[in-house]
Amino acid sequence: MLKGFTRNFPLFKILTEEQVEAVHRGTLDVLQETGVSVYNERALKAFKKASCDVNFETKRVKFPPGLVEECLRKAPSSFRVKARNPKHDLIIGPGNILFFNFPGTGTVDLDIWEPRTATEKEHVDLIRVLDALPNVHFLNAYPYFGFSGGIPEIMKEIEGVALRMRNSTKVTVAIANNDIDMFTIKMARAAGTEIFANPNTSSPLTYYTDQVNACFLAAEYDLPSMIWDGATSGGTAPASLAGAVVLTNAELIPFIVLIQLLNPGARVSVANLVLAQNMTNGAPAFGEIGVSLHNVAFNQVWRKYGIPTVCSSCGPTSSKRIDFQLGYQKMMPAILSAISGSSVLQLYSSIYGEITAHPIQALLDDDIAGMIGSFLEGIEVSDESLAIDLINEVGPIPGHYLNKAHTRKWWKKEQFVPQVADRLTYPEWIRADKKSCIDYAKERMGEILAVHKVDPPLTDSQEEDIERILKEARECYKKKGLIPDKEWEIYKKTLRESGRPY
Amino acid sequence: MARGFRRKFKPLEIVTEEEVNAIHQGALEVLWKTGVLVEHERALNLFKENGCKVDFEKRRVRIPPALVEECLRKAPSSFCVKARDPKDDLIIGGDTVYFTNFPGMQTLDLNTWEPRTPTRKEYYDLVTILDALPNLHFFTCYPYFGFEDVPEVMKIPEGIVAKMRNSTMVNLCCYSNDCEIFTIKMVKVIEGMEAFGAGHSAPPLSFSSEMMESLFRYIEADFPIWAGGGPVMGGTTPVTIAGSIVVTNAEMIAYVVLTQLIKPGARVMVHDYALPINMRTGAPNFGAIEAFVHQAIFNQIWRRYGVPPVATSAGPVSSKKMDFQCGYEKAFSALIAALTGANVIQFSGGIYGELTAHPIQAILDDDIAGMVGRFIEGAEVNDETLAIDLIEKVGPIPGHYLNKAHTRKWWKKEYFMPKVADKLTLSEWLKTGKKDCLDYARERTQEILATHKPKLLTENQENAIENILKEEREYYRKKGLISDTEWATYKKDLESPNYPYA
Amino acid sequence: MSNEIFENLKKAIIEYDSERAASLAKEVIEKKIDPMKALDAMTEGIRQVGDGFGRGELWLPDLAGAADAMSSAMPIIEEEIKRTGAKRVSLGTVIAGTVFGDIHSIGKTMVCTLLTAEGFEVHDLGINIKAEEFLEAAKKYNTDILAMSALMTMTAPEQKKVIEYLKKEGLRDKVKIMVGGGAITEEFAKDVGADGYDPTAPGAVKLARRLIGK
Repeated sequence: MLKGFTRNFPLFKILTEEQVEAVHRGTLDVLQETGVSVYNERALKAFKKASCDVNFETKRVKFPPGLVEECLRKAPSSFRVKARNPKHDLIIGPGNILFFNFPGTGTVDLDIWEPRTATEKEHVDLIRVLDALPNVHFLNAYPYFGFSGGIPEIMKEIEGVALRMRNSTKVTVAIANNDIDMFTIKMARAAGTEIFANPNTSSPLTYYTDQVNACFLAAEYDLPSMIWDGATSGGTAPASLAGAVVLTNAELIPFIVLIQLLNPGARVSVANLVLAQNMTNGAPAFGEIGVSLHNVAFNQVWRKYGIPTVCSSCGPTSSKRIDFQLGYQKMMPAILSAISGSSVLQLYSSIYGEITAHPIQALLDDDIAGMIGSFLEGIEVSDESLAIDLINEVGPIPGHYLNKAHTRKWWKKEQFVPQVADRLTYPEWIRADKKSCIDYAKERMGEILAVHKVDPPLTDSQEEDIERILKEARECYKKKGLIPDKEWEIYKKTLRESGRPY
Repeated sequence: MARGFRRKFKPLEIVTEEEVNAIHQGALEVLWKTGVLVEHERALNLFKENGCKVDFEKRRVRIPPALVEECLRKAPSSFCVKARDPKDDLIIGGDTVYFTNFPGMQTLDLNTWEPRTPTRKEYYDLVTILDALPNLHFFTCYPYFGFEDVPEVMKIPEGIVAKMRNSTMVNLCCYSNDCEIFTIKMVKVIEGMEAFGAGHSAPPLSFSSEMMESLFRYIEADFPIWAGGGPVMGGTTPVTIAGSIVVTNAEMIAYVVLTQLIKPGARVMVHDYALPINMRTGAPNFGAIEAFVHQAIFNQIWRRYGVPPVATSAGPVSSKKMDFQCGYEKAFSALIAALTGANVIQFSGGIYGELTAHPIQAILDDDIAGMVGRFIEGAEVNDETLAIDLIEKVGPIPGHYLNKAHTRKWWKKEYFMPKVADKLTLSEWLKTGKKDCLDYARERTQEILATHKPKLLTENQENAIENILKEEREYYRKKGLISDTEWATYKKDLESPNYPYA
Repeated sequence: MSNEIFENLKKAIIEYDSERAASLAKEVIEKKIDPMKALDAMTEGIRQVGDGFGRGELWLPDLAGAADAMSSAMPIIEEEIKRTGAKRVSLGTVIAGTVFGDIHSIGKTMVCTLLTAEGFEVHDLGINIKAEEFLEAAKKYNTDILAMSALMTMTAPEQKKVIEYLKKEGLRDKVKIMVGGGAITEEFAKDVGADGYDPTAPGAVKLARRLIGK
C-alpha cells in the first residue's frame, strides 16, 4: 500500500465556523430552490424515486435538504482503492496526502516550447516515469491524449488506457464520454486493477448524459468515483469566492446523492478544478492565487461533509515554459491545499493549462512534492532533538556541532534532499557546466527509463484480453460512425506498422 | 503609512503549545547554565548591574529567567518607524506583513548567469526599481554590496546614501568599522526620519565587540533595532531543527534583554536565517525546507514572546538562474513565512544565497509578494459574496455570470493581477513572440526607469549628507583603511560629472 | 599483542570514539609501543573514512567525527614521537585562523577537520587572529600553508597585512596562502594576493594539495 504523506499539525483554516455554516445553508438552499439540470432519464427517475422534486420536461431536479445530508453522511470519509500490484493500493482519507498527474493533451518541445502530439514512445515514457516515481500514487486519465500516427479522436484515450495497463500497476482514472469508460473498465478488469469513475459537472448546475452514466457504471461495478468541478469564477460561477464555493458545492452534491442512492456507502471523492476567468481573453486564468482561497475554503467545508477532496488547480498554469513562473504557480496552490486538508494533489507533469505535459516536469514536480511532504510531516520535539545538554556542553564560539554523534545521527532524518535541484556554489556550478534543475531532471529521466520495469507485467492472457477489448472498441465506434473511413485507413496502417492486431 | 498586507486569519502553527514550552524552557536553561559570550565591557557591566552572573575573564553572561521574562515583556509588540515620506511610515507588529528586498553581494549577468560587481548606475537603478515596486515596503541592507571603484570600507556607507537619495522608504543600517557613527548623523539630517540599526549574533551563543558597540550607538540614537542570528544547522547549532531553535532563541533573547537594559521599551524585531549544511561540501543549502520549518517555528515562538518576527530565510534560493527551481523555492518560503506569522519578509531581488541580486528578480518576486499578500487577506463571506439569490437567478446552463454587475464589482477584488506573468492563450503567445515572465520583467524594468521618479532629497539635505560622507572618507583614510590605489580610483568616480548617479 | 592495539586504534577512529582513541593512545605510551606505528594505524583509519566520503557513502559529520577522534589521540602520540626524537611525517603543515575582526569559525573548522583527515598537520589558531599572530605561528610551526577565513570581504585590509608581513620576513615564497569564507571570491583572493581560493571544504583540501604539489 502506498503511504503518502501524513500531516502532523492541525489543519490550516480560513473560515470561521459560522462562515462554514453560512456556506452550507446557502448550498442547501440552492439545491432546494434551484437544483440542477440533469440530462439523463435514468437519473431523473432515480431522483424522483427518492422524493426529489423532478420536472421531466425541463430536466430540473431539486433536492430536499434531508436527503442531501443523509447521502453526504453515507459516503465514507476514508477508503481503499486496489491496484494491480497491492503495493500500489491507495488509502484516500483525511490527514494523509497523495499525489497524481495532471494531464496534457500533448507534449512540449523543450527548446522552442511549442506543443505537439506525443509519439507512442513518448507517451509510454511518461507513463513509465510516473509509474517509477514513489510519490506519484496513481495515474490520471490521459497523461497525454493519445499519440501520433493518426489515432482517431475517439480512440485516443482508449489506446492510452491500454498503454497504462501495460506500463503501470498503479490505479488509474477513466474518462466519462461516449462509453470510453465502459472500455476502460473492461480493460481494468482484465488487468486486475480498480479504476476511478469520473463524472464531471458542467457549470453552472448542469449534468450531461455521459457524465451521469458514469455514476451508473460506478454503481454497477462498485468503482470509487472522483468527481471534477471545473467552474470558472466570474464566468460560469460567481466572481466572489464565497459564492463560487456555494456553486461548486451545489454542483458536486447531486452526483454524490445519485451515487449513494444507487450504491449506498459507495466510495466518492471530489476534485476542485475551479479556476478564475481571464477577463481579457475569456480563457480560464490558470495559476490565479484567489483560486487557492476557494480551494482552502472548499476543503474546510468538505471536511465537515466528511468526503475526501482533491486539489486539481495546482496542476495547470499559464506559463508555456518550464520557468520561474511555472515554479511559483505550481508550488503555491499545492502547499496551500496540502495544509488545508486536500487528500490528493493533482500536481505532476503538467505545464500549460491542459495542453502540455512532460516527464521532465514530473521529475521537477517530484521535488515539490517531496518538499511539501517534508513540511507536512513536521519535526520531532523531544529531549534528544532539543539537545539541551549538548548545547550546554558545546557552549559559545568556538564550540560547534559538526563532529558530534548527535549530528551524525540526526542530519539525515532532518534534511530533505531534493533529487534534481541545483545546489552548487558558484565555482562548483561553473565547473559543472552551469547545470540547472532541468538538466538534472533529464539525467534522472534517463536513469529511470534505463532501469524501471513494470511490476508485474501483464500476463500473455491479460495482454490478449486488452487487445480484444481494443478491437471491440474500434468496431463499436466504426459502427457508430465515429471513425470515418479515411481515418480508419491511416489508423490501420499505424497499428500494422507497430505489429499489433487490429 | 505603508499599508502592507493584513493577515485575516489565525497563523498556521506547526508545533504544539507543549512543544513551544519545551523549546522555551530549553532556551532559558541554556541562558542560565551556559549563557552567552559577550565581547564588550560595557555590555558585560550592564548585564551584571541587572542581576546576571558575569564572568569578566571569560566574557560569559548568564541570564536569569526572571530577567528574560521582564525584558520580553518590556519590548513593544508593535511599534512605528518613520520614513522620509509619511506614506512609507511603518507599523511593525500585529498582523501586518511587510516585504523588503533581499540583498546580494553582486549583480548577475543575465547572459552567462555569472555574478559581477555592479556599476554605480546599476546600484542606483536597483534602488529606484525597489522604490517603485508596489509590494515592497522598506529596505534591508545593501541591496548590492557596494559597486565598482568603491573602497571596501566605503561600500556600506555608499549604499546607505544611495537608498536615502533614491527612495523615501525606511532603511536598514549595518555596522562595520564604526560606519554607524556616520550613518546615525546622516539619518538625523532628515528631520523626523528614522532607520533600523542592524544586529547579529554569531552562533553558537556569541556576540562580537563590533556588533555590541554598534548596538549601544544605535539604541542611544533611538534607532529601532533589527536583530538576527544565522545558525548553520549541524555546524554552529544542532542539526535538529528543535535544537537549533533553542540556540537561536537563547541568542535572540539575550539580545532583546540587552536592548531593554540599554533602554527600556527600545523597539526591536528579530529575524531567523537558518541554513542547513550540505553534508557533502560544507556549503549552506539555500531555499531548503529545513530553513522554512525553522522559520515557521521561530515565527510561532516570537509571536508568543510579543516581539515581531522577521523571515530572512525567505529571500535566498539555491538556483543560480531565475528558473523553475528559483520560482518554487521563493514561493514556498514567502508563503509559509506569511502564514506562520512573520511581520516582515526579507524577500525580493535575491537569487543565489546572499551572493547575487538583480532588479528583474525583484520584479518577479514582487508578483509573488502580491500573491502572498492577496492570499493572507482572505475572502469575505457575507450575503453579497455568498450570492445565493444570484446563483438561484442564473440557474443552470445556459445561465452564466460574465455579464452580471456582481461580477464586474467582485472580480477585481477577489483576484490578483500579476504584473509580469505570462497570461496569454497559446495562440496569442505564439503570435506575440513567445514572451515569458523574464521578458515582461525586462520591459517593466525599462518602464520603471523611464517613468518612476523617487522623491529626491532637498538641496540642504543632499549637501549635509555629502559632507558627512566626506567626513567618513577622511576618517577611513586617516585610519589607513583606504589605500592610495583605492583612493585614486574612488576619487575619479566621485569627480564624475553625473555624481552621485553615475 | 600490539597488533591488537593498532587494530583497536584504527577502529576507534572509524567509529568516531574520541574517548577510546585517547585511552588507547595512553596505553601505547605506557606499554612502550612504537608510536609511529600507532600513528600509521590512526592514519589508516581516517583514510578509510575519507575513502568512504569520496565514494559518497559517508558525509561531513562522519569525517568530523573521525577527525575528532584523531585529535584526541594525536597530542599524546605526537608528544611521544617528539620525545623519542623521531619525526612525524605528514602531508604538510597548515596554520588556519579566522581573520581579525571576524569571529565566525564553522567554515574554518570544517576545512581544518578535512585537512586533518587528509593527513595534514593542522594548527587551528582560532578566531579574531591578528596579522602578527599569523606571522608568529607561521614561524613557530614552519608552516607550508597559511589558511585565512573570513565571512565578509571587509577584512581585506587585515588579510593584505598578513601577506605584507610574510613578505617582510622573507617568508612569502615559502608559505602558500589560501583564503575562504561565505562572501569570498576568486577576485578577492587575487586582490589580497593569495595563492588560491575554494568555496567548499572538500575543495579546500584539493587546493591545499595542489599548492604544496602533492
